[in-house]
Parts: sequence; structure tokens; C-alpha cells
Amino acid sequence: MDGNLQGQAGKILSEMLTNCKISAKWKERGGVMTGVLMYLRELNMASLLLRLTLALLFGGLIGMERERKRRPAGFRTYMLVCLGAALTMILSQYLALMLATRWSDVAQQVGLTTDASRFGAQVINGIGFLGAGTIIVTGRQEVKGLTTAAGLWTSACMGLAIGAGFYECVIPGFVLIFLCVRVFPRIEYASTARSRNMSIYVEVHSMEDMASVLQFLRTRNYTIFDVDLDRGSESSMGHPNAVIAMRLEHREPHTAVLAAISKIESVWTIEEL
Amino acid sequence: MTVLSFLDPLRDITTASVLVRMLMAVVCGGLIGIEREHKRRPAGFRTHILICLGAAVTTMTSQYLALEMHYFTDMARLGAQVIAGIGFIGAGTIIITRRRRVKGLTTAAGLWTAAIVGLAVGAGFYEAAAYTTFLVLLAEMVFSRLEYRVMKHVRDICFFVEYVGNEPLDNVICLLRNANATITDLEITRPSDSEKEDHFCAVISLQISGKGQVERLVDDISVLDGIVSVEEM
Repeated sequence: MDGNLQGQAGKILSEMLTNCKISAKWKERGGVMTGVLMYLRELNMASLLLRLTLALLFGGLIGMERERKRRPAGFRTYMLVCLGAALTMILSQYLALMLATRWSDVAQQVGLTTDASRFGAQVINGIGFLGAGTIIVTGRQEVKGLTTAAGLWTSACMGLAIGAGFYECVIPGFVLIFLCVRVFPRIEYASTARSRNMSIYVEVHSMEDMASVLQFLRTRNYTIFDVDLDRGSESSMGHPNAVIAMRLEHREPHTAVLAAISKIESVWTIEEL
Repeated sequence: MTVLSFLDPLRDITTASVLVRMLMAVVCGGLIGIEREHKRRPAGFRTHILICLGAAVTTMTSQYLALEMHYFTDMARLGAQVIAGIGFIGAGTIIITRRRRVKGLTTAAGLWTAAIVGLAVGAGFYEAAAYTTFLVLLAEMVFSRLEYRVMKHVRDICFFVEYVGNEPLDNVICLLRNANATITDLEITRPSDSEKEDHFCAVISLQISGKGQVERLVDDISVLDGIVSVEEM
């Protein structure tokens, strides 16, 4: 049975292959295309201009999506980072080219070589630092800005690939990154909004009031996993607060849960984390 | 690089090429910096010039070591550390404001790019440095206008609603849901001054589906019972 199926599949495949005869014209065009691509892989004025422009464009397009969400790293930040990363790679290639041509005498005499990835390697490092500056730990035990840092770092890596002229990697890479910032947030949001798990930050008047909050949650049959109590810090202006992780009894809009908790007399601030 | 062969005499380390490279580093850094200065950002004209110049000196020095003094060295090593080092300086310009906003990231990125332009100038890669400076200026001057245009079409907005009593919030949430807006974040606080006994403040982050919906939503919410004020943030 299996062999039969395989045989059939093989027959169909070979038929398809014989049917699509590539005409001479297309072959020739393909030849030209590979020629152009080969030319652009080398370092010359055309590839230089193309790569830097491409870096600006792709960085900008990813940045535009982030900008729309009013995230700290926008349009220009992504452009600049991607452009800078591409330039480092081109610069390495330039040094290698010069060592092979103009400076070849000295290079042979002293045995000079250059590592073409040395500049680029530091980009990965340097943008990591830059990204670390965007990460905030809020007073409410939340970490923010991680996606911004990661996105910036990824676009720097894409800039490296653009600068290296690795076009096959750049185009699918760009599509996937774009998808990641454009479509995936919706999926992420949809899954968290429908989730029965919820994590809230509550600020109350005094420590005793926390009991009434927990009691309220219990009367609604929520399972409480974890309560992280704090007697009051500077960020909460001295109010006792808690981060409560819980599981709702059945699916309900999270906003309704928050609204219900806000009606408890002693609750000062309520927020979903 | 056959296209710009007139630059070839300047590709080696000579007194003339060193002077040209340093001057070009000052010009490129200055061009990038003057725009930032114009916007009164912390890192301005001089900061950019200094960093661009410093970066250029590093690559020139390593070329001097290798090509003139014939030491065995990798010409990329000094310059590579600049890339990481300016990342550090840049991270220092990033501020987190009281309202948990990040500021200064574009300044940091611009400084970092200026350093890499400096590296290219110092290495004698004039055409790449010039074109990159042009692109940075394009990004700063032309695309920053585009940025405002994109901001007008934001679909993620934030409302600040002040209300009295318990019912208004449910009505607001209901209204927003009927308008097809998805609430992504909700924070409810009582104002700290005790005179306003029954007052609440809600910060609602939401995603809206269409353009021009914001004004209508603000109007709709403000006429509800018990609403003291509505503002878009």
C-alpha cells in the first residue's frame, strides 16, 4: 500500500517536472539575475548604496510598527541601529578588500589578516547594552521594555546580514520579524485576554483590608495561587500592596473582575499585570 | 573600488590622509550632531563630533600600526571595541521618567551610528561614511516628520477617566465594548486627597479599530452619568 502510494507520488512528480520546461529565454534571464546577484554580493559602489539604503528601509519599516504602539524605540531608532550595523559589516569587508588589493604587499610581508566579523560581533554586544537601558522594573514588580530591547537587537542583527550582503537571509528574516511585531501581538493578546489565569496588583488602605480583598476573591471561587504582600513602599506612597496570582472560576472579561474589585471600599488602586 | 579612484592616494596612512580623515570625521559628526542640538537633545553638536573623531582615531591608529609600523595586528580590533563602548555611553543617555516612559533612546542610537561613521572615516572608507551620514540626516530630518504622521494613526490609545460612584465604570466598559474597542489595560485608583470621597480615576488603555473614533468615544463617555472628566493621554 505504502509502496504503491510512493510510486504514484513519484510518477506525478516526474510528470510535473517534465511538463515545466523552462524556456531558453527564462534561463537566460535567470543567468542575468544570478549575475546581478553575484555582482551585488561583492563590495562595490552599487552594493554599498543598495545595502545601506536597504538597511534604512527595513529598519524603518519595523520601527514604524513599534512606533504605532507608542513604544519608546520608534522609527528613527530602528533605522539608525540597522544602518549602523550594516555599515560595520561593510567596513569589515572594505578592510579585507584593501588588504587583498592595495595593501597586499604589506599584508604578505607582515602576514596581516583581518577578521571580517570582528566589528559585527561587537554590534551584537553593544546593542545589547543599549537595549538594557530600555528595560524598566516598575514598582509593581513588572518588567517593561523587554520587547523593545529584543526588537532593537534583532534589527541590529538584521542590519549585519544586510551589510554582509546575505540577501537570501535578509528577506525572509525581515518578513518574519515584521510578522512578529505586526500580527503576533494580537495572538498574544487574544490568548491572555481569554485566559482564566490573572495576575493583579492591589493597593489598600491598611494591612487588615487585604483580608477583605482576599475574602472577596474567595467568595467568587477564584483559586489564589500566590500572594506577594508588601507593607508599603515609596512607589505606592506607603500603601500596603500585593501582587495576587489567581485562576478564575470560569472565563469572564478581566475588566469586569477589575471593576468588581475596585468597588471594595478599602481598595486604593487596582491594576492587571 | 574603481569608481572613486581619485580617492586612492588617501587610502593609505599619510599626513595628508590623516588630516583629511580627521576633518571629515568632524564634519560628519557635526552634521549628525547639529540636528540633535537643534532639537535640544542632551547629546548635541560637540558630543557627536568628539565621538566621531575618537572613533576615527581608533581605526587610523590600527592602520598605522599595521601598515606603517608593520606590527602584526588585526586592524579591526581597536575599532570593534568602540562599537561596544559607545553602546555603554548611549545606554547612559536613556532616562526613565516618573511616568515609566523611556526617553533618549533615539539620541543613544544616533550617537552609536555617529561612532560607526567615525570608524568608517578613520578607515578611509569615505564613500560609505558620506552616504551613511546622508542617510542619517535623511532619517533625522525627513522621516521625523513622517513619524508625526504615523502617530496620528495610532490605534493604541489611553483614556484618563475620572468618575464618581460605582456604576460609571461598568457603563464605560460596556460602551467601549459596544464600540468594538479592546481594553488592553485597566488601572483604577482613588485620588489621595480625602475630600473627594467617592471619586475614582481609571486609566484605560485600548485598541480601536477605525480612524477618527477617538473624539467620538471621548464625547460618548463624557455624557455618561457620574463622569467627571475624560481625557485622551
